[in-house]
Amino acid sequence: MTVAAIQTARLSKNYGLGRGLFELDLHVQAQEMFGFVGPNGASKTTTIRCLMGLVRPTSGSAHVFGLDCVRDYVAVSQKVGHVPGDMAQFGSLRGSEVVAYFGARQGRADFQYARSIAERFNLDLSRRYREYSTGNKQKLGIVLAFMSRPPLLILDEPTSGLDPLNQQTFYTLLAEARQGGATIFLSSHVLAEVERTCDRVGIIRAGHLVRVFDLDEMQRIRLHHVELELGSDSDPPIDAIRAAAGVEDVKVNGRIITCTVSGPFEPLLDGLRGAKVIRLISREPTLEELFLEYYGEAPTAITTTR
Amino acid sequence: MTTMYVLALRLGRWGIAGFGAIAFFVTLLQTVGFYKIAGTTESERQAFGRSMRVLAAQFSVIIAPPMRPDTVGGYVQFRAFGALAIMFAIWALASASGAVRGDEERGLVQAALGRGISRPRLVAARVAAFATGSVVAALAAGAAFLVGVASGGESVSAAAAVEAAIALGALAICCYSLTLFLAQLTSARSAIAFAGDILLTLFLINSLSRTFDFLVPWRWLSPFHYYELSSPLVPGGTLDVRATFILLAAAIAAAALAAQAFRLRDVGAALVKLPTWRRPPSYRMSRSSLWRVPIVRDLYDRRIGLLVWTAGVSALGAVFVVLTKSIVKPLLAIPALAPYFSAFVNGDVFTSFFAYIWFGFAQLLMAGFAIAQVARWATEDSDGRLELIVSNPISRVRVVLERAMVLTLEALVISSLSGVVVGIEAHAQSIELDRWRLAEAALLLVPFTLVFGTVGAVLASRIPRATVGLLGAFAIATYVLVQLGPIFKLPTWLVDASPFKLYGQPLSAGVDQTGLGVMLGIVVVGIGASALVMQRRDIGA
Repeated sequence: MTVAAIQTARLSKNYGLGRGLFELDLHVQAQEMFGFVGPNGASKTTTIRCLMGLVRPTSGSAHVFGLDCVRDYVAVSQKVGHVPGDMAQFGSLRGSEVVAYFGARQGRADFQYARSIAERFNLDLSRRYREYSTGNKQKLGIVLAFMSRPPLLILDEPTSGLDPLNQQTFYTLLAEARQGGATIFLSSHVLAEVERTCDRVGIIRAGHLVRVFDLDEMQRIRLHHVELELGSDSDPPIDAIRAAAGVEDVKVNGRIITCTVSGPFEPLLDGLRGAKVIRLISREPTLEELFLEYYGEAPTAITTTR
Repeated sequence: MTTMYVLALRLGRWGIAGFGAIAFFVTLLQTVGFYKIAGTTESERQAFGRSMRVLAAQFSVIIAPPMRPDTVGGYVQFRAFGALAIMFAIWALASASGAVRGDEERGLVQAALGRGISRPRLVAARVAAFATGSVVAALAAGAAFLVGVASGGESVSAAAAVEAAIALGALAICCYSLTLFLAQLTSARSAIAFAGDILLTLFLINSLSRTFDFLVPWRWLSPFHYYELSSPLVPGGTLDVRATFILLAAAIAAAALAAQAFRLRDVGAALVKLPTWRRPPSYRMSRSSLWRVPIVRDLYDRRIGLLVWTAGVSALGAVFVVLTKSIVKPLLAIPALAPYFSAFVNGDVFTSFFAYIWFGFAQLLMAGFAIAQVARWATEDSDGRLELIVSNPISRVRVVLERAMVLTLEALVISSLSGVVVGIEAHAQSIELDRWRLAEAALLLVPFTLVFGTVGAVLASRIPRATVGLLGAFAIATYVLVQLGPIFKLPTWLVDASPFKLYGQPLSAGVDQTGLGVMLGIVVVGIGASALVMQRRDIGA
């Protein structure tokens, strides 16, 4: 039996006044790509800090590759590449110096690899850190986390500040790390991001793990707010739209129709067959909307799909 | 404008509260202390005044000589308001450079400008807020003087206390506005160092002009000169209205220049930009092998600061040697002082005098250096660097030990190189210092610095946000303890526990082995305690 990359048991960090992380049971297998999703303030970062041994849990336990995150935090950090939620400040140090500094501290950094990552992100390491934009600081954080090719990558909202092109580069890098055998724990508040990259997704809210989905389940619960504007030369196929599978909350305002779609779009598109669609806008719900839709205000039940 | 003014006051509230408290207690202690030590009869106070004048000669490089130190007003003007001028200037320096560049880095300036506040208004709001705060803090000193005098059963004019506060406030505002302007010229990185160097130069022009005549024509440049022209607490003394007006006019002019400079530069950039050249991007890591060696890489990271501190302390050491020569030589020529020297000075007068003024001042400098390093540790905690460091395979105990080792080596570099410079300059000035004792005195500054460093390490491990303030308070308290302990008849063990007392007088009296042992004990316990606290605390939470 292989050791879990991440295993927590009733892991709690209570900051008082109802804030913190409560009784988190999580199991991430080796070489799995696990998404950890939750709105701001859901305790994603607290969870990561507990895993990194930066924060001592109030109760419960956390293990990385069988190592206790509190007692064996040095050994844990040897196996983990970490992108923090807020990149540290390095003032007037150059990017190349920051890489050299942390490369030496890691002791196992592959500087050729670090260089190749910097090249792919077009990150000029000769510039001083304080001259870097937010995105460039984030890129440097990614270089530092990946350059030692760790068996586990714990990434706290790693794409925040990256433009879409660099996000694509990052996803490619993630896929390569995965192919290289790494386990990835990706925290995000963007559902679509984890959906496109991860095998399983854990959803956390207000310090409680709400549910762990696999990818199929995730796509089933995906909900889109859709707004359609139809041309005036045909009658709107209202009945066909209402009858389409997964289509709900259909509202008609003249030639503008709004509805929600869960699951695939084919039934809706079939219902629209023959109608002249002038405009179609599909918007993903925010995490808060998703929670309200599915769980109401106080989700605490934990259901794990393995 | 009003909103910005209130926000600026709020941002500076801890400075106002802290310096107000310091001003109050320093003044109160000195005022009450006068009645404890000056005697009650006219003849006792005359004798006290004479001894104070002799003592004051040793400090003439820092504080202006006293006028009428036989009176409570003259004494407090010299002992309290002389020292407060330096403290308020440091406060102005830190506050203004933080307002200009620190707030820019934190995004506060951008947020304010984004709300439609003009740059001149922003500068005006900051100056007005600091002016309010500094006057409040200065008035606290004035109030303490009145309270202290009342406790001695005497009375003085409240107007004199208010005038002393006005003079002190005017100096602080002038230093603030000057810093505000100077900090616009350079990069954020060097703003405080640049402005600090200019203010220190202006201070030294005035104070050294008391010894070196060639500086007299230049002292009109120094705000400290105009401050010293007022002596409202001294019987018969007044607030020099013209000098105070010059300070305030200079403050307004500097603030206007700062506003104009701020209008002309980009946010986050320097007004005066050094030429840069285009170069292709590089994706290589630094090739310097120094980054690979533990401790050495941290020293290398701090090389500029270490160089500046070493050069600064060494230069001041050399200046103090020259001062010793120029102060002691005329004193030795006064026959009336011969009994005093034979009674109170052991061994060579030059050595004793130099040991007292230089190593007393060097202790303050090294305590300041330790506080600066501890501030860096606290900053590493708040800016996320510590989180990233301990996310690498390095134990927290090792972080504490590496910090202590780096501080030790830095203190060793500063103390040994400045000791060498002092030895060379003393030889050039024909002052023969015992080389072995000079080396001991210089090296003893290392454990002295580490005492503050390890106390700071414990604080930084436990409460990083309050570390600098608490360590600064500890340094001031332990220094004041040695100065005022005998006056207020505080327990001997308490005074002896001060690092400033533990250091002793190694140049003139040899190393105090007990003091050294206690300092080393504090260092070991401090490192152990900070390692323990660091091991158990949450990081980044």
